[in-house]
This record gives sequence, C-alpha cells and structure tokens, in this order.
Amino acid sequence: MLRYTLTRIGQAVLVLLVMTVLLFLLINLMPGDPVDNMLEGNPSLTAASAAQIRELYGAGVPLPVRYWNWITAAVQGDFGYSSIYFRPVAEVLGPALGQTLKLMVATLVLSVPLALLLGSLASLRPGGLMDNLISFFAFASISLPNFWLSLILIIVFAVQLGWLPASGTPLETNPPIWLEVRHLVLPVLVLTMFFVGPLVRYVRASMIETLSSDFVRTARSKGLSEPQIIIRHALRNALIPMVTVLALGFGGLFSGSLVVETIFGVLGMGKMIFDAIRYVDFNLALIGLLLATLVTLISNLLADLAYAWLDPRISLK
Amino acid sequence: MAALLDVQDLNLRFPIGGGLFRKPLTLHALTDVSFTVEEGETLAIVGESGSGKTTLGYAISGLLTPSSGHIRFGEALSGAVEDRPVQLVFQDPFSALDPRMMVGDIVAEPLRLAGVPNKERQERAETVLGQVGLNAESAQRYPHEFSGGQRQRIAIARALIADPKLIVADEPLSALDVSIQSQVLNLLNKIKRERSISYLFISHDLGVVHHLADRVIVLYLGRIMEIASREHLFATPSHPYTQALMRSVPRIGRGRRQPGQSLKGEIPTPLAPPPGCVFHTRCPKAQDVCREAVPVLEPAPGRPGQMSACHFKD
Amino acid sequence: MMIAAPASVAEIQDAHSQASGAATPLLRVQDLTIAFPAAVGREAEVVSSISYEIGAGEALGVVGESGCGKTMTSLALMGLLPPAAQVDGAIWFDGRDLTKLSARAWRSHRGRDAAMVFQEPMTAMNPVMRVGDQIAEVLVRHEGMSKRDGFSRAVQLLASVHIPSPERRAQDYPHQLSGGMRQRAMIAMALACRPKLLVADEPTTALDVTVQAQILDLMLELQEQHGTAIQFISHNLAVVSEIAHRIMVMYSGRIVEYASVGDLFANPLHPYTQGLIKTLPEMGQPGSDLYTIPGTIGGKRPPGCRFSNRCPLADAGCRQAEPALREVAPRHYVACHKVN
Repeated sequence: MLRYTLTRIGQAVLVLLVMTVLLFLLINLMPGDPVDNMLEGNPSLTAASAAQIRELYGAGVPLPVRYWNWITAAVQGDFGYSSIYFRPVAEVLGPALGQTLKLMVATLVLSVPLALLLGSLASLRPGGLMDNLISFFAFASISLPNFWLSLILIIVFAVQLGWLPASGTPLETNPPIWLEVRHLVLPVLVLTMFFVGPLVRYVRASMIETLSSDFVRTARSKGLSEPQIIIRHALRNALIPMVTVLALGFGGLFSGSLVVETIFGVLGMGKMIFDAIRYVDFNLALIGLLLATLVTLISNLLADLAYAWLDPRISLK
Repeated sequence: MAALLDVQDLNLRFPIGGGLFRKPLTLHALTDVSFTVEEGETLAIVGESGSGKTTLGYAISGLLTPSSGHIRFGEALSGAVEDRPVQLVFQDPFSALDPRMMVGDIVAEPLRLAGVPNKERQERAETVLGQVGLNAESAQRYPHEFSGGQRQRIAIARALIADPKLIVADEPLSALDVSIQSQVLNLLNKIKRERSISYLFISHDLGVVHHLADRVIVLYLGRIMEIASREHLFATPSHPYTQALMRSVPRIGRGRRQPGQSLKGEIPTPLAPPPGCVFHTRCPKAQDVCREAVPVLEPAPGRPGQMSACHFKD
Repeated sequence: MMIAAPASVAEIQDAHSQASGAATPLLRVQDLTIAFPAAVGREAEVVSSISYEIGAGEALGVVGESGCGKTMTSLALMGLLPPAAQVDGAIWFDGRDLTKLSARAWRSHRGRDAAMVFQEPMTAMNPVMRVGDQIAEVLVRHEGMSKRDGFSRAVQLLASVHIPSPERRAQDYPHQLSGGMRQRAMIAMALACRPKLLVADEPTTALDVTVQAQILDLMLELQEQHGTAIQFISHNLAVVSEIAHRIMVMYSGRIVEYASVGDLFANPLHPYTQGLIKTLPEMGQPGSDLYTIPGTIGGKRPPGCRFSNRCPLADAGCRQAEPALREVAPRHYVACHKVN
C-alpha cells in the first residue's frame, strides 16, 4: 500500500512535469504580448524602460532557456510576478486557493451524503413516487443554469427576505467565522445543487444494480431487514463505482466554478485563471493551471486509494 | 492414412500481471501437449476448469499463438482459399451471435470474408441452414427470435458453411437444456456421418464424450494425463485422475451416493503448478517419486494404444 | 389401483399419514400457484397449483428444465419471490402457513427455520465482506450472539464443512476462495442456525465434477448429522438421484411425476420423465442417435396437457383436459391421461 502510494506520487510528479512543459508551450503560443499590454496601459514608459522590461521578461531568449529559467525558479518557490495584480503570484493565488477550497469542501460535505440518501431512497422502488420526485429533483439540478439559480437565490434570500448576504466574501479584513459561513451559504447552495444531480443519478443506478445482485438475495435469505441489507451489504458495493465520478467532479469543480465565483464576487481559482488568461498574465495562468492539474492528480490518487479501501479485490501492491 | 492435424510439443504460457517494476507471473496454460487427429475422427478433450482445454481449442483455431511447438494441418486441408481448415463452435449460443445481424448473414459470414459473391452466399446459407434443421425463412430473422438450441444450430451452420475439415466445438451443449442437448448431439453425429468431418470436442461432460468421441484426451493443469480410445478409457482407465473423474460423475440408478469416494482437494493454480506430476497433490497413489519426477506419457501396461502419464499407472 | 375422483396429493398423503399414523410432514405445499402480471410472450402462471410434501430429514429432488417453475417454487418457500409475484394456495411449514406470514415473521423464518444455497458461489457472497463476518451475521441475527462470538462460531462452522485452515479462511474475502470452497462456506452459512429445511437451488451446477462430488458428499454427511430436510433442485437427473429420497419432475409449472428415486428410475411412467431418462447420452449406444423429445421448451402452452405438443402418446383427449396428479402405485404419482 505504502509502496503503491509512493509509486503513484512519483507518477503524479512526472505528469506534473510534463504538464509544465505543455502549459509553458501553450501559453507562449497565446496571442498578445504582456509587455505590449503594459505599454498600452502606461504611455509614460520610455522606449528604454520598455526594452528593459522586455529583457526582464526574457524577450529574445530561446524558449527552452526561458522554460529552464522559469522551472528552476518555480521549484525554489519563486513563481514570478503577476502582471495584472503587480504582486508575487504566490501572494495572489494563496487566498484564491483558500476561497476555492472552502467552497469545494463545503459543497462536498453537503452533496455526498445528500446524494447517497436521495439515490438510495430512489433505488428502493424504481418507478415509485419517491423515485419520480427524486429523479425530478436530479434533472432539475442537472439542467438549471448556474447563473439563473444564483440570481434567483440572491433575489429571494438576499434582496427580498434579507436573510443572507448576496456576496460570497465578507468585506471585513478579518471576518469572524460565522460571518464567513453566512457569506458562503448561497454560493455553496448553488454549487451543491449543480454537483448533486449527477451524483444522485449515479447512486440510484448503482444501487438498483446492486440490490438485484445475488449476494443481496443471499442477505435476504439470511433474514436480515431491508435497512441492514442496504447499509451493510448494498451501499458499500454501490459506492465503489461512485469514487471515479466523485474524483472527476472534484477536478471540474476546482476550476469550473467560474460563473458562481463571478456572480457572488468570490475571488477563487476559476475566476483567477480566467482573468489571467484573458489579460495574458503568463505567470499567474501557468501556476493556476498547474494547481488545477495538481488537484485533479491528487483527487485521482485519493480515488484509487479509496477503491482499495472499499474493495478488497483490488490489491495495491 | 495421413493425420489431419498434428500437434507436437505444444506449450502455451501467458505472462500475468507485472508492471513497471515487477516481474510478471507466468501462467502455464499448456505444457508439452502432443496428439494427432485423423480424418473423420472425433477427438474429445476432457478436463475441469483450469485444465487448459479451452486454451487448446483456441490455439488450434489460430486464436492464440503457441509459445513453442507445432500445430500442423495435413494435406487434406490445403484446399481453396475459402476453405478455412478449422471452424469454431462456442459454448454460449446467446453471446456468440451478433444480435444486429440477420441469421443468413451470420451463417454466410465466413464466405463473405472469402469473397464469395452475394447470391451464392445466400444459396449456400439456406442449404446449410436446412442441413442443421432450420427452414430457409430463418435466414431473414434475427438471433433473438430463436431458442438456445436453435441458436446453437445456427452457430453450427456458420461453422459448416465453409466446408471445414475440422470443427473445434467448445462445450457446445453445456448451455442447453437436457432435452435440447440430445437434439444437438444427434445433429453433430449426423454431420459427421454425412461429411466425414473431424471434431475436436471440448467438454467436461463424460456422458456426452462417451457417446460422441472416438478417442479421448484427459487434460489436467495443462498436461495430458491420458489419451486413449473411448472403449479403453471408459472400460479400463489407466490414470488415477481419469479413474477419479469416472467415479465423480453422478449416475442414475445407483441410489443415494456413498460418501467418501470423491477426490480430495481442488485443482492448483496454473500460476504455480506443482513440481513432478502435477496431479500428485490430489492423487491417492502419490509417492515421493511423484513429487519429483514428471511422468512420461507412455503406453499403459499391456495396452499399447492407451497412453498414460503416471508413475503408477494401471 | 384407480382413484375415481382426482384428489390433490396433499389429501392423498393425508390419508396415507393417517393410515400409517405418521406425524405431519415438515413441509406441505398445497395447491401452490405463482403468477406474475402478464407480459408479452410469457405465461402469467409460472407455477400452477402444485402440491407436495417433505418429511423431517427427507431429501426431495426437484428436476426440470428451464421454465418449469422449480426455482420459483424454492423462492416461494423462502419468501424471496419478486414483489410482483401473486401467490395462491398454502405452504404449511412446521404447523404455520407461510403464505400468511408478515414481513417480520418471514425474516425470522429465513435463515433460522429454512435456509438456502444458490447456484453461483462466485456471486452469492458479498465481495467486500469477510467470509467469517458473513456467516457470523446469521448468528447475530437469529441467535442473538455478539459479533465476536458469531465469528468464532463461524470458524467452527467452516471447519465442519471441511475447509482447511478455517481461522485464516474466515478472515478472507470471497474472491480469495475457490468456487468449491465458497460453496462450502455458503453451506456453512445456511446451516449455521440448524434450519429444519435446506433449499438448494442447483448448488453444484457451476462446479467441476470432482468438486461437485465433494459438495454432494458434504451435503449427505451434514444431512445425516443434523437430520436437515432438503429440497434439492437441479436440471440434472443423475445429480438428484444421488442425493434425494424422492424425486419430483416438473414441466411447465406443473408436477408431472412424483415418486421415490427407486420407483422413478425403475418404472418411469410419465412420457416426459421417460424422455428425460432416454435422452441421457449414457443411456444410448455410442455413436447411435439418441432419443430426443421433439419440439422446444417455452413458447405458448398448448391447451389440455401442457406436454401434449411434445408428447409421442398425445391424442385429442390430451389436448382437451389437463391431467390431474394421481397416485397410480403406492406413493407414486403421475399426471398423464395415458397412464392407467
């Protein structure tokens, strides 16, 4: 198990390295030149200082050398300066990462148990009333656009009822925890609604299949009650295929909550990466995208470990 | 008479598992298997799961490449291009037929691959469907419209259409109901009489083998334990494994069984076959020599046609 | 011997047991009918008004081909029929009619009074639960044992079905056991609470012949030790003949013949039973054509006798009225117009 984990971490580092090369190449293929952007924004720059800036940014240096310079600095923790925030990339990305992780963890903590509960309930009597209601909810969750749901929730809970703030981040510099939670409620609700629908569908399908399997019949023939059969026998087996779905969803959530972040004014990873690419902020975009890769790699590794923990037939040797 | 099929020292090993930093294990599917099949002969391969009998069928049909050894077809088989020498009939008549193809097309497929024109293909498909006891209209229908026994007839028709000299049939009866089994068994017999075809008949069912086979190979853990004519094998089994197999088969009319006669233990994994005689872990006759030396396949005492690989053969 | 009015087997046997003074049997199935909401191309009734009984410690073999209703009959004894099934008639077990049981009473019947062993040992156990825990679960459920005591009892049970190194095997997961060992573990699980009836549905069909022989030995041994009654279902006449005292042959949802093993093979009366025996390859001369029962299984049932469209003896009368199961010799029952 330990050996397997170490091998997998080694592989992840390898993938990450390859990704640095690919991303570096891709970003350099992007149209637009950061120095041009800077010059446009600041006409008072002289030609001499423009040349100096160009040199600083490595113009005229061949791509492989630039890559080498960048990667050697990056592994030492120097990610360079962000050209749109005029601050070190690490300082910019740190809080954004924090915001995104808060949103993601809260969304997961809410949606996984909810999906297990709703999916299992729906699977008990496929085609029954409960199943139809839950399926309706799941389809609504899948098909309601994020921005629309966000706006509706803001109108209802922030504007009309005034119960919750409309923004995702408190204005205070050092807000107390309860205030932060209050601000997170609406964006987390929207993200949960977005995340839970497909999960419910998967749990339901997986549970229906598991409940019709031979070993569930065996469990019935032993005289176990339905709750015992579902909790002790069916659920764990049904969970196994869910792990992949969760891991994939997690990666998507990391950089894919752009709309929600924008509407609720949360400066998270989705918005950060989007802005960085839009305004040709090389350094920020590179590290942001690499972080997204890293999260996907980590969630896949966790998924594999979870597989081995859930399913004794898989041995991670 | 020249042999139709000559198999010499056939070995088949598969690497299993392994990875970037690990050596794969070796699965010994078949070890030093040699035999011949004569024209018009039915040779049965008998064995339990893990004996390698299906692997052997695949190797002879060309679906698997041997690790070493030879599979040679006699001169009778070097005919026209469309005459594939070997055709296969599988165990499961439900998954062996493409559900989206019409039966006529399924049956005629070997001809299509050989480039036979469409019209001739259809005619020959209808003829061969008739020979397996299905009417000509069947050609226009889909596999799901047929019962298990009828589907196995379709699979047999597909095997027959290219006029092969040898049919490898892998447990063709075991998915069928008892009353349907005998119908298909009679069909196989009829084909054999009419076409002087050879069968390599893979089965675990000794009753069926006794009925159909001319000669029998008993396979255990990828090795031939015994090879003999049907009469000899069933009347005077030489190898202790063959004897145990015969005792294990339930028979009607014996009344309730007397416990304690069954073979102990189970077939070991082909990933780590026992040293010496592969059967020694379960053999009632096993001695020290059996744990060390691999017994040679040689004639049983006084029966030159009956070969048995046992240090203490009868 | 002729019986004027066709009586149900239960009535006949009632008369028998009264005459011989025998106690009531452990299981008595009376006019059991199992039907499903009609679907296209499928008969609604999978089992039609069958009656039979199993005495304490008796082994009954049930033989038939696919669609004969043998599996549905077994599931009915365990209350494991699909929810859509409509059950008619009575299943008297140990003085109670099982068809009248509440869901709760069914649960205490299953695993304690009656237990079941299934065909596929590969899929019948929970793949993510240790073998010992799966056996212990029955004991925790019915005997009120603690998990710990249940587990140590499970080890003893694994030893009693001759599984080598039972302590280690109890810790194993099902995939670490061979097919034969899994079936032994299933038998250990089924017998954990010493049920009065063991229902075994094709328990050796998925196994190799040498392992099948071992499992049959084991079932005989345990039956003699504990006096468990067995309903043993199989498509294989020979397998059933080695374990059963009596055999019931089913065809298309009906019992066609019901007799002791000796009587059935010495004197098979129903054309279907005769056909089944004659089609066995070991019955024919090697190389000769075997006897075949014409036609196929399934499809629409003919009017009258359900076997009439495949029967060599059938005449117009057979196609009109369904024959009742009657006793034509002592304890030998057959449902055929052509048998006197």
